[in-house]
Amino acid sequence: MVAAGAIVALAGGQRAAAASDPPSNATCMACHGNQAFAAKLGDGEKLSLYVDAQGFAHSVHGGKLACTDCHSDITTVPHPPKLFQNRHAMRLAYYELCKQCHFPEYSRLLDGVHYAEISKGNQGAPTCVDCHGSHAITPPARPRALTSRTCAKCHSAIAAAYVKSVHGKALLEEDNGDVPVCTDCHHPHDNTNPTSASWHLGIPQLCARCHTNKEMMAKYGISTQVLTTYLTDFHGMTVSMERYEKTDPREFTATCTDCHGVHDISRVEGLSTAVIKANLLTVCRRCHAGAGPNFPSAWIGHYEASPRHAPLVYAVKIFYIIFIPFVIGGLVLQILLHLWRVVVNR
Amino acid sequence: MNEYVIRFSVRQRIEHLFVMLLFVVLGLSGLAQKFFEAQWAQWVIAAMGGIHRVRWVHRGAGILFAAVVAAHIAAALVLVISKRTSPSMVITRKDFRDAVMMMRYYLRVSDEQARFDRYDYRQKFEYWGMVVGSLLMIVTGLMLFFPVLTTRFLPGEFIPAARTAHSNEGLLAFLIVITWHIYNAHLSPDVFPFDVGIFTGKVSHERMEKEHPLEYERMRASAEREKRAHSQA
Repeated sequence: MVAAGAIVALAGGQRAAAASDPPSNATCMACHGNQAFAAKLGDGEKLSLYVDAQGFAHSVHGGKLACTDCHSDITTVPHPPKLFQNRHAMRLAYYELCKQCHFPEYSRLLDGVHYAEISKGNQGAPTCVDCHGSHAITPPARPRALTSRTCAKCHSAIAAAYVKSVHGKALLEEDNGDVPVCTDCHHPHDNTNPTSASWHLGIPQLCARCHTNKEMMAKYGISTQVLTTYLTDFHGMTVSMERYEKTDPREFTATCTDCHGVHDISRVEGLSTAVIKANLLTVCRRCHAGAGPNFPSAWIGHYEASPRHAPLVYAVKIFYIIFIPFVIGGLVLQILLHLWRVVVNR
Repeated sequence: MNEYVIRFSVRQRIEHLFVMLLFVVLGLSGLAQKFFEAQWAQWVIAAMGGIHRVRWVHRGAGILFAAVVAAHIAAALVLVISKRTSPSMVITRKDFRDAVMMMRYYLRVSDEQARFDRYDYRQKFEYWGMVVGSLLMIVTGLMLFFPVLTTRFLPGEFIPAARTAHSNEGLLAFLIVITWHIYNAHLSPDVFPFDVGIFTGKVSHERMEKEHPLEYERMRASAEREKRAHSQA
């Protein structure tokens, strides 16, 4: 019955009302347009049943969908009352309505942490309507800052750190189109658990999506060598290998966010070397117990070794670039001479 | 008279065996880490049970290798100081003369070949290269194994410098072994296909006479003296 109603509704949304047709928007609004229209939930909470017609008209669905396209179970007016224990039960009953049209998003949601929480029975876990709204749905990322505000409804501590970060400030103060909002790093529907090992191992590539983009980084004077310099270092190599191996490491190796911060990422420029080193030492000590003040300099920064940056490393490197071909060349020459003389002697 | 000359003692043969086996383990687990982005390296690392196990295997083999090197140096010092052996590996002026003479021979400037003692200049080169290289590998390896301890005494930059040195020195050692050592022990027309001397300890009189004539003459002379002493007794 519900399925049949949905098909009829999708096929005949704009058709003139006939006896068998679902109720028109105007019919619905006769009751739901009344601001005082409300019902009581099973737990005693008062639930407003008012729908703002203006809000709906200006929403992404305004003029495209009829009330009954989503609420396809309503075939008669007045309809029988719907009984829900609480808001959560109501949301669970309604959020699957969206998949009639938005099936790809719905199926991605099934892979996400929010859905995992929903299926565990977490009443605070969001469904479609919690992020997107129900009747007054607007494009979720217009303006881009809207996304962050949406997530902030639950993730307020993270949002507070984000707005102070280099990314958050650029977003809020200049409406910068390059900086990431929440959903650029965390997929909006199939958001994986950011405390998992697989997430941790993917962080360098995640940051690198923007930080190796030459055009984008040139605007801010940021090096695009940050990924390769990290990956060729001991920690970067560890993370790469753990990614290939596809087994969860027993302990996490330092990646971008361990030194730079996660949501509170701030500028490195402008800080004195001493401050950076002191901050680093705290980070190093999380794994390297007893590390002394010299220890952080073992990381030569996001630089290739050069006479200016890490001259000792550079000198060793240059020495071997000359020494290896010199030795091997000499030995091979001696071998060839020896062979040649053997041949000549015959 | 024996059919063979005993050229290497049991201790030397065991040392070579240890160094050879440890070199294979260290080379494989080390080069796989150096070239971890290559397909073959990832295959090796997976076959050895993942990067963390490869690192522990490498460190374990490195400690064993360091022990073998320490034992060798200690034994050599004891033997030389107690005069039970002559310091035949010491580089002398003759080695440089020999090298020049052999170059002239190879380039057909002259037909005269150098006459070698117990170890020729090429063997001394390989030996000392190996000793110096091993010490460098052991020191830099320990620095990388214990970075917290190292940076208590040295600037932090010594760690990436040690890494660069360890990685390149390891590659150099590998390249020397697969060219120079494999040629001299297997591919050279003089020994093809396999010079088993270092495993059995035995070398034929013909080879001794040809490759180490000075040592061989000394051996013959002392054998003669012993024989005469016996017959007089």
